[in-house]
Amino acid sequence: MSEHDSVDLKPTPGDRLANFYKRSDVIQSTIFGVIVTGIFVILGGKFYTKWMPTVMSTDMKAIERLMVVFTWIAAPVCGVVLGVALYTFLNRHSGDTQPPDGPATRTNGPIVLLWSVVTSLLALTAVVYGITELNSSSIASAKNAEDAMVVNVTGSQWVWTFEYPKLGVTSHELMLPINHPVTFHVNSVDVNHSFWPVQLGVKVDANKVAETTAETTPNKLGEFDVKCAELCGLYHAYMETTGEVMTVDDFNNWVVAQGGHSA
Amino acid sequence: MTTLDQHVGTRPIPNPKKSLITKLNAGTGLIVGIIFALLTYRGLSTVLDISVYELNNRVLLATMFMWSIGFLAGIGAFIGPIRWLIGEDLTAEEQLYMAGDGQGIKRYFKYCTDHKVVGIQYLWGVIVLLAVGGAMAMMIRTDLANPGGHFITPSVYNSLVGLHGITMIIALIIVATGPFGNYIMPIMIGAADMAFPRLNALSWWVLFTAIPVLCSAWFLGGIPTGWTAYAPLSVQAGPGMNAFIATIIIFAISTAVSGANITATVITMRAKGMTWNRVPIFVVGATLSVAMAIPAFPTFMLAMIMTAMDRSFLTGFFDANVGGTGWLYAHLFWIMGHPEVYVILLPGVAILIEIVPVFVRKPLFSYTSAIVGFAGIVGLSFLVWAHHMYMSGWMPMLNGPFMVTTEMISVPTGLIFLVILGTLWNGKPWLKVPMLGVYAFLWNMLVGGITGLYLSDVPADMYLHGSMYVTAHFHYTLMGAALTGAVAGLSYWYPKMTGHMLHERASYISFWLVQIGFQVLYLGMFIAGAEGQPRRVVDYAEQFATSNKISTMGAYTIGIGFIVLLWAVIHSWRHGKIAPMNPWGAKTLEWTVPYPVPLVNFDTPPVVTSDPYGYGRSAK
Amino acid sequence: MSSDIKFQVHHDAPEAVGRRERLGVRLLIVADGAFVFGMIFSYFYLRNLDHNGGWIPKNGHTFSASSGWMAVLPLIVAALVHKLAQRDPSHQGSFSLITLVAYIYGGYYQLHQLANMPFIVKDTGAFEGAYASCWVVIAGANFFHYFVAGFIALGLVFRSRRATVNPILESWRIRTAASWFTWIAVSGIAFAITTSFI
Repeated sequence: MSEHDSVDLKPTPGDRLANFYKRSDVIQSTIFGVIVTGIFVILGGKFYTKWMPTVMSTDMKAIERLMVVFTWIAAPVCGVVLGVALYTFLNRHSGDTQPPDGPATRTNGPIVLLWSVVTSLLALTAVVYGITELNSSSIASAKNAEDAMVVNVTGSQWVWTFEYPKLGVTSHELMLPINHPVTFHVNSVDVNHSFWPVQLGVKVDANKVAETTAETTPNKLGEFDVKCAELCGLYHAYMETTGEVMTVDDFNNWVVAQGGHSA
Repeated sequence: MTTLDQHVGTRPIPNPKKSLITKLNAGTGLIVGIIFALLTYRGLSTVLDISVYELNNRVLLATMFMWSIGFLAGIGAFIGPIRWLIGEDLTAEEQLYMAGDGQGIKRYFKYCTDHKVVGIQYLWGVIVLLAVGGAMAMMIRTDLANPGGHFITPSVYNSLVGLHGITMIIALIIVATGPFGNYIMPIMIGAADMAFPRLNALSWWVLFTAIPVLCSAWFLGGIPTGWTAYAPLSVQAGPGMNAFIATIIIFAISTAVSGANITATVITMRAKGMTWNRVPIFVVGATLSVAMAIPAFPTFMLAMIMTAMDRSFLTGFFDANVGGTGWLYAHLFWIMGHPEVYVILLPGVAILIEIVPVFVRKPLFSYTSAIVGFAGIVGLSFLVWAHHMYMSGWMPMLNGPFMVTTEMISVPTGLIFLVILGTLWNGKPWLKVPMLGVYAFLWNMLVGGITGLYLSDVPADMYLHGSMYVTAHFHYTLMGAALTGAVAGLSYWYPKMTGHMLHERASYISFWLVQIGFQVLYLGMFIAGAEGQPRRVVDYAEQFATSNKISTMGAYTIGIGFIVLLWAVIHSWRHGKIAPMNPWGAKTLEWTVPYPVPLVNFDTPPVVTSDPYGYGRSAK
Repeated sequence: MSSDIKFQVHHDAPEAVGRRERLGVRLLIVADGAFVFGMIFSYFYLRNLDHNGGWIPKNGHTFSASSGWMAVLPLIVAALVHKLAQRDPSHQGSFSLITLVAYIYGGYYQLHQLANMPFIVKDTGAFEGAYASCWVVIAGANFFHYFVAGFIALGLVFRSRRATVNPILESWRIRTAASWFTWIAVSGIAFAITTSFI
C-alpha cells in the first residue's frame, strides 16, 4: 500500500514510469515507508493492548479493537509521510550556503486528485467503521435495556454513591453480577462529574438534575476502578472508588449482607 | 495602493503643539490604571458588603475592568476617539508622532501605532506568557513525578492547571499572529502599515491590561476549574475566578479588534499586482485564523458574561435549580473552543509552509491545495464543537453526525501534508533551524492528527475522554505543531525583526532538546492515558508511576531547551551576527526592505508580478 | 466607527479610506453578530430545555412582548433617519441630531426597564429563572448598542458643525456609521422577536 502511495509523489511529468521505479530516491522512500508502516501496524496494535487495562466488558473489547483498527488505517499514511520525510531529511543539503535550485514543479493534478481521494476514502473508512461500532453498541444496549439491572449513580463532591433501587441497597463500591446487563442512571448533586468505571469501557457525565444513562454488560470477574473524569473541584483526583464483578451468587450474598433483598 | 509619506526623507523633529499625546506612556497608564482600580475598590467596598459572595464578585470584577479602562485612558488610547468625537481630527504631525517616529526605544512603551513596534511588543508579551505558563507546567510535572507526592496541595495544583491552561492558550493564540502577523505580514503584502494603526496599538495594550488581571488570580485563590472553566464548577469557585472572567472578556475584545484589523489590512491594502493567487501562504493562514477568531471569541465572551452574572448577580444560566444548565456553557464554550484550536494551529502551519519552499529551493507544491486545505479546516471547524461533549449526555443521538464532521477534517489536513511533502520531494532541503521545524511538524502533527482520530470516534472516546490521552493529544497539535511553527518563524524572521541572526548553535541545541523532550513527555502521557489516568489530577495510583516519571523527565528537558532558546533570543538581540538583508534567499517582500525597516516600510510602493514561490531550475 | 486617517494613508483616495473603514466596521459587526447569535441560541436552548420548569417558575414575572419591541423601536427609527441623512448631506447635522435623540431616549428607556425589572426574588436577591436571566443579558446587549451608537451619533452631530472636517471623507464616514446603525437595528429586531417567545 505504502509503495504505491510513495510512488504517487512523483512530480516530474517527463519521467517515464519504468525509470521512475528505478530511481534511488523512490526506492529509498518506499523502503522507509514500508518499514514505518510495518512498525505502526505491529507496534500500534501492541501499544494499546499492552497499556490499556484488563478488558471486563464487550464495550471495552470493542474500544480496544477500535484503537487497533484505527492504528492500521493510519499506518499507511504514516508510511507515506515519514517515508518521504526521512528520505529528504537524510539527503539534505549541508553547508552554510544556499542549496541549488530544485525542479520548478508547481503542482501535479493527478497526484493531488489521488491524494484527496485516498485520504477521503481512509477518512470514510474510519467514519463507517466508527458509526457501525456505535450503532451495534447502541442496538446491543437497547436489547439489554429491558432486563438490565438499574444502578443509580450519584456524583457529589467528591464521592460516588451507587443505589440499587430494586434491591434496596446503597453503597460506595460498585458491585456487579457477571454477564448481567446493567444500566447506570447517572446524576450529580453539585457540579459536573464524569462517571468512569475504567475497565468496563463506559463513561458518562454526571450533570445536576439532568439524568444521563450508560449501559454495559460486565463479562469478566475481578476488581475494577471507578474514577471521575471531569475536573470537579478540590479533591477531583481522589474521587475514586473500586468495584467488583462477581458471580451471581456472590453478588446476591453481598446484597443480603448489605441489608437488601436479593434479586 | 499605498502612497508614501512625505516626511520620510526629512524626519522632522516631532513637536505636535506639545499636545497631550507627547506626555502619555505606559507609566502614566500604570498610574491612572492603579488609581482607577484603587478608587473603584475602595469606593465600592464601602457601599457593598464584600463578605457577601456575590457582592465581593461585583467589586472585584469592577476593579479589574476599571484597571483596564484606567490604563488605556492613561496611555492615551481614548485620545483618538475623543478627538474624532469633538471633530478635531488628529493632525498629520500628531499621527506621525503616534507612530513613534524617531523616538527610539521609548516608543515601545507608548501607545505606538507603528505595526513594527506593535509586533515587537507582542513578541515580548508572548515570551513572558510562555515563560510563565512553562514555569507552571514544570511545577505541574514536578508534582506528578511521583505518586502520592505532596509537592503542592490539591488546591494549588488545580489553580496551576487552570492558570497554565489559559496562559498557554492566550499565548498560543497570539504567538504567530501577534509578532509576525503585525511585524512581518504588512511588509509581506507590501503595505505601509496596518489598515487601522490605532486599533493595532489598542489590540496590544488591551491585551497587556489582561496580563496583570490574569496574574491577580494567583492572589485571589486561583482558577480551580481548568481553563475550560465549566459551569457550575466556575460558579462555585472562589474570587480568583473573577480574574479569569475579566481576562477572557478583555482578551476577546483584543482579539476582535486585531482580527478585524488584520483581515481588513489583507483585504484592502495589498500591493499593486498582489492578486489573491499571489498572496504568500503565511498571510492567507494568518488572515483565515484571525478572521475565524472574529465570530468565535464573542461566544466565549458571552459564556463568561453569563458566568459573571451567575456569580455576581445570581442569575440562573447554569443553575439547574432555576432552569439553567451546564450544557449551555459547554456549547458556548466549545462553539468558540474548537475554532480556537485552529485559530492557534493555522498560523503556525502557514509559517512552516512559507518556510519549506525557501529552504528546498522549489516552488510551493500546489498552492491551491494549501488554500483549499486551510479553507476546509476553517469551514469544518465550526461544525465539530460537540465532539467535546460526546459524554455529556446533552443529545447522544447527535454524536454520530459530529463524529462524521470531525473525521472529515482529516481530509483538508491531509492536503496540508501533501503540500509540504510535494515541496520536499525531489528537493535537497537546507536544514537550517527554521527548516528543522518543518520536520518536527510533520511528525508531531501526524501523531496529533492520528490520536485525534481515536478521540473523534465516539466509542473510543468513551474510554479516552477526560484522560491524560486527551492532554497528550492536544499538546501534540498545539505545542508540537503550532508552537513549533511559531518558533521556526521566530528563527526565520528574527533577522528582519532585530537585524541580527539568531544564535545558530544555541537554537539548534534548543530545537533538539525541546523536540526530544517533547516526544518523551507525551509518550509517557499517552501511556498514562491509555492506562486510564484521568487528566487534571494532583495525585494518581501507583500503577501510573512509570509513565508519569517518563513524562516528567521529558518536561524538564523541554524546560532546559526553552531556557537555551530564551538565552539565544536575548543574547542575539544585540550581539548576534549582523544579518544580511535576505539571509535565506527568500522571495517574499519582507526581505526586500532593509533593517531597520523604514517607518512606511517601502521607499517606493512595490508592484507584484508573480507569486513569491518562483524558485526552481526552469523558473524564469 | 472611529476615524482612522493616518499619516501614510492620508494621501489615499477617500473612497479607499471609506471602503477600508466600512470593511473594518463590518468585521466588528461579525463579532457582535456572533455575540447576538449566541444570546439568541441560549435563549431558545434554555426555553426548550425548561429544566424543572425553571424557565419561568410558578408565580414568575415576565415582560410583555410589546415592551421588548418598545425598547428597540428607537433603534429602528434612528437607522431610518440616518438613511435620510445619507440622502441629504446638506441637512446631515439635523438628521444626526434626531438619531442622537432617538438613541438617548432608547438607552434611557432600556435602563429604565432594567431598573424596574420585576424578576428579583426578594429574600435572596437572586433572579427568578432562566427567562429572567436571558432577558437581562439581552437588555444589557441592547443598552451596549445604544451606548456605542449614541457616541457615534454625538460625534456626527459635533462634526457636522465643524469646518475643519474634510467633507468627502465625512460622507464616507457617515456611510460607515450607517453600517453600525443598520446592524444594531437588525439585532434589536432579532432580540425583540426572540423575547416575543416568552
